[in-house]
Amino acid sequence: MTQIAIPNIGNYTVALATAVESLGIKPWASTATTPEALKLGTEAAPESVCLPLKAHLGHFIAADRAGVEYALMVNSVGTCRLRYYRHMIEQILKDLGLKIRIFGLGFDGFKPPLVRHFDPGPITFLKPLFHAGEQIRAIDEMETLAWKTRPIELAHGETTRVMNKLLLELSRCRTLAESRAVRRTTASRFATIAVDRSKKPLKVGLVGEVSFLRDKCLNKNIEYLLGDQGIEVKNFFSLGEELRNIARIVLLNKNRGRELLDIADRYLQTTVGGHALDSVAHSIRCAELGYDGMVHLAPCGCMPEVGVRPILKRVSQDKDIPILELSFDEHTCDVGITTRLEAFADVLRERRRKRAAVGVS
Amino acid sequence: MSDPCFLGIDVGSISTNLVAIAPGGEVLCELYRRGDGHPIDSVQACLAQLQEEAPGLAVRGVCTTGSGRMLAGAVVGADVVKNEISAHARATLHLHPDVRTIFEIGGQDSKVTVVRDGAVVDFSMNLVCAAGTGSFLDSQARRLNITIEELSAGAMLSQNPTTIAGRCTVFAESDMIHKQQVGHAQPDILMGLCHALVRNYLANVCAGKELKSPIVFQGGVSANQGICRAFRESLGCDIIVPRHHMVMGAYGAALIASRTGVKNTRYRGEKAATHKVVTKGFTCADCPNHCEIIEIRDGEEVIGRTGGRCGKWDGNGGGPRPQVDPVPDLLEMGVPEP
Repeated sequence: MTQIAIPNIGNYTVALATAVESLGIKPWASTATTPEALKLGTEAAPESVCLPLKAHLGHFIAADRAGVEYALMVNSVGTCRLRYYRHMIEQILKDLGLKIRIFGLGFDGFKPPLVRHFDPGPITFLKPLFHAGEQIRAIDEMETLAWKTRPIELAHGETTRVMNKLLLELSRCRTLAESRAVRRTTASRFATIAVDRSKKPLKVGLVGEVSFLRDKCLNKNIEYLLGDQGIEVKNFFSLGEELRNIARIVLLNKNRGRELLDIADRYLQTTVGGHALDSVAHSIRCAELGYDGMVHLAPCGCMPEVGVRPILKRVSQDKDIPILELSFDEHTCDVGITTRLEAFADVLRERRRKRAAVGVS
Repeated sequence: MSDPCFLGIDVGSISTNLVAIAPGGEVLCELYRRGDGHPIDSVQACLAQLQEEAPGLAVRGVCTTGSGRMLAGAVVGADVVKNEISAHARATLHLHPDVRTIFEIGGQDSKVTVVRDGAVVDFSMNLVCAAGTGSFLDSQARRLNITIEELSAGAMLSQNPTTIAGRCTVFAESDMIHKQQVGHAQPDILMGLCHALVRNYLANVCAGKELKSPIVFQGGVSANQGICRAFRESLGCDIIVPRHHMVMGAYGAALIASRTGVKNTRYRGEKAATHKVVTKGFTCADCPNHCEIIEIRDGEEVIGRTGGRCGKWDGNGGGPRPQVDPVPDLLEMGVPEP
């Protein structure tokens, strides 16, 4: 059976794997880059490139070693270096003498090159698309509930347990109807978790580079680390939202980027690549919505995200919202990250206490 | 008759510090111990030394801090495990309630904490480079074949400090060698080194932070007179080096332990100092994260685990751990044999 390696984008990988599987191709992916793959990528890549490239590359090398013939890579929308990285990864793989062939998920023509290659016919092509769409919707719903439930759960680890169980069930669904059934039970399943409604958890938004927002290996499972300290998070990379945006661009010629540009207008008048504009715009929006703070994740040397950091500092001052900037490198030990997150949580708690004392809502 | 006390233990990269305070906050005993890379032994040695120097203390609560806080917390049976940024700030606010900026330079970390109206509002830590920290000074002292104390005293003799590149330890070192060969006097080079470290610290760690006086400078490096002088000269204002400046993290931890209202301490007492504690590492294979779990054991009893990222291996010591289902293993790869 043909095997294809798909990129790791956190829980969304489950949906991608389902889509690929219904095309009759065996997916090779995981919800987090494994440390072994990361090591392979770090060894093969030039030292100065960003960590997401090393993670992608390592994942593909590991796939090749496992006998996988093809790989899939997102490379079209957005203008960070990742776009050009597909060619770089291809070159490195070639230099290493590996046979794995990479398809871009780009829009060069009506059919993506992957579909052109396997040519499954319109019905077999559309069905998995809808199925994956349903699963992405389900995953978005689950995550939103998990972010809200984890900080107020009474039994430690209960949210993670429910979440993982639902994901497991979702990954076993073979038809659209099954996936929809799982999605419809999501809310009631989360409702069984005993919570303390009187708690008013701190609310923190996560912005930054996509791989770091989603790959639990790269971000050290930051959603859990924050939730465990009683902080409600909102992760601002949502695949469902991105796809809806693409649909809006194609069907209605309306880009969400315009809205973001309007919000960020005083600070940034253009997209600077990646999701850097999103980081700025969401930080401004969150300050207005009364979030307690923001965490900005970026790999060392990420051109767009590191580029907007001075802007984020200004936003933080002007809008009075603390922004914690986390830079990640190949460190495998998370003590540095947890120390910063814990101290940040202390700052936010103290800030809220003081504000309550002087009567600011 | 035993006096009640609270312990704070700070396990840093270079030193392990212990402070015992009375419920009112007065320091009963403070220990600073240069570590030798064996955090468990260092903690136990500190506890043994505490027994000798201040016998007859009844421990009512323990808080650990520093990068080794989880491990130390398991070894001694800590009631609170706190990050060092908050611990340092607590101690500084106790001694100098009007502080507005805290500089803390330790062995491998350097931090700046911005305080306004008695509360931490912002902080920053060095990222991935150890230039501008204590280990940089240590390695240079070793290269010059002088002790760290001699480096401190030598720098104070300088009349005309030379300029040393401060971007990175490697470049700083080659710059120093050149200056030596050109014939600069050692005190001038040492003071130049201090200036380079301070310049690096102010430019990187403090980038974008509003540094308002009063400024308090603490951490292991604050014992270095040359660095203090360089700070005064660069900032053009006085900096305060507090009492207990070497052990502020531990002091803050002790204050936190005394304020949390612990009823029954989890402190392991005699056992903490004397029992042999061993650790065992293994890789959890339940999800693709492949966390490296460290199990801390006292004989057969598991007293703690560190390294997990999902809560599965948390839980209080050997107590029942929450059941967490594995996330779907799409790869079914398993884990390579160690």
